[in-house]
Amino acid sequence: MSTDFLKRLGLFFVFLLSQAVLLGRIHLFNCATPLFYVYFVTMFPRNYPKWGILVWSFLLGLMVDIFFNTPGLAAASLTLIGAIQPYYFELFVSHDAAEDLRPSLSSIGSLKYTNYIVVLVLLYSLVFHTLEMFSFFNWLHWLMCVVGSTIVTLALIFTFEVANRK
Amino acid sequence: MKNLLAFLQKYFHWVLFVTLEVVSLVLLFQYNHYQNSVWSSSANVVVGKIYEWSSALDSYFSLKKVNENLTLRNFYLERQVSQLRRLYQESQETQSKEERKALADVSQYSLVPAKVISNATNTPDNLMTIDKGSKDGIEEGMGVVCGAGIVGITYLTSTHYTVVIPVLNSRSSRISCAIRGHGYFGVLRWYGGDSRYAFVEGIPRHARFKRGDWVETNGYSSIFPEGVLVGKIVEVYNSRDGLSYKLKVQLSTNFGNLRDVVVVTDKSFAERVRLMQAANDSLKLNVRE
Repeated sequence: MSTDFLKRLGLFFVFLLSQAVLLGRIHLFNCATPLFYVYFVTMFPRNYPKWGILVWSFLLGLMVDIFFNTPGLAAASLTLIGAIQPYYFELFVSHDAAEDLRPSLSSIGSLKYTNYIVVLVLLYSLVFHTLEMFSFFNWLHWLMCVVGSTIVTLALIFTFEVANRK
Repeated sequence: MKNLLAFLQKYFHWVLFVTLEVVSLVLLFQYNHYQNSVWSSSANVVVGKIYEWSSALDSYFSLKKVNENLTLRNFYLERQVSQLRRLYQESQETQSKEERKALADVSQYSLVPAKVISNATNTPDNLMTIDKGSKDGIEEGMGVVCGAGIVGITYLTSTHYTVVIPVLNSRSSRISCAIRGHGYFGVLRWYGGDSRYAFVEGIPRHARFKRGDWVETNGYSSIFPEGVLVGKIVEVYNSRDGLSYKLKVQLSTNFGNLRDVVVVTDKSFAERVRLMQAANDSLKLNVRE
């Protein structure tokens, strides 16, 4: 058990509980819900074992699902992000960058980081709400949910990133 | 075989990805079999426990609101009880429609819940501040009560705050009250000292009552509705001039830990003030002429 694993495990529960107890109950304008736990998946450093990212993402998604009675929904969406994350992050780093570079505002610069995080969060929100609405499709509501959740989640993530930069 | 292993090793994470996605999607689309999936829902023991804690925490934070509502509710019921008690007493003798209509009087008053933000009980002339002001419809000279009984009368109003003269103000507080069930009335005063006791003066000598009787407001002034609790008679003295009784009353309101109060705004109050002013003005005019 490395310290990295333990730290990640701690973070895992912090994200899970914050979502279950606090954030998951927020429904701004009846649709914009912070999906803050996706931040957990975007934090994996370069060259982290890909299967590890997948397992972490799947488990976090599953646990969130258990709390919100939506089995498979967050798990499916978050696993997808977990699969994409290592490849996508690779696009933003130069080849001579550190082997275990962690995606953050300070490590890759604010412009690149914004680009990186916006796409991942938007994709997550898109997949999540699309799967959620599988049975009942109202495209205006769907669009509002996707955009609303993305904005709220990004606001939270940037708050934390800026706070951690110092 | 070796090639296959190498292939699996290289693309293991893709295989894993597909497997996990399939599991997720099966969960997602098989969820109708609710009985089979109790473990993966919030009926799960651990999840249930966490939700229980979280709601316990929530309910703690909402206690403030609950308290406020209870104060309001308590006061309302207290008044209804006193109205009903009076009606019952009267109906023993004669019963008229108009008396029954008195119950509707309750709606003559509207209530504004407020929080005490500063309070004192240790000086002879205490003042109290509450967090509601003219913006909430509060004017000077309105009654303030709490769930347990009488508190005082509003004195100065700003937009958001109001200074209240509580019973515990020896110089300025004089509230008209009566002995419950007997109707003899007097004036509630306080002379400093113990904040649990006050005095009722001016009870006539021929009044019949006993220790332990309740004192309540009598509703003459329209500041307080009839029947708001003041306190319990614990001691009876003669007044200095020997013409009346002076009662020592244990106040039902605990001023030491007062938090939630209710301001009683009499809807007809403004009308009465206007009428009185008009009367005064016309008297002055007459005198001048």
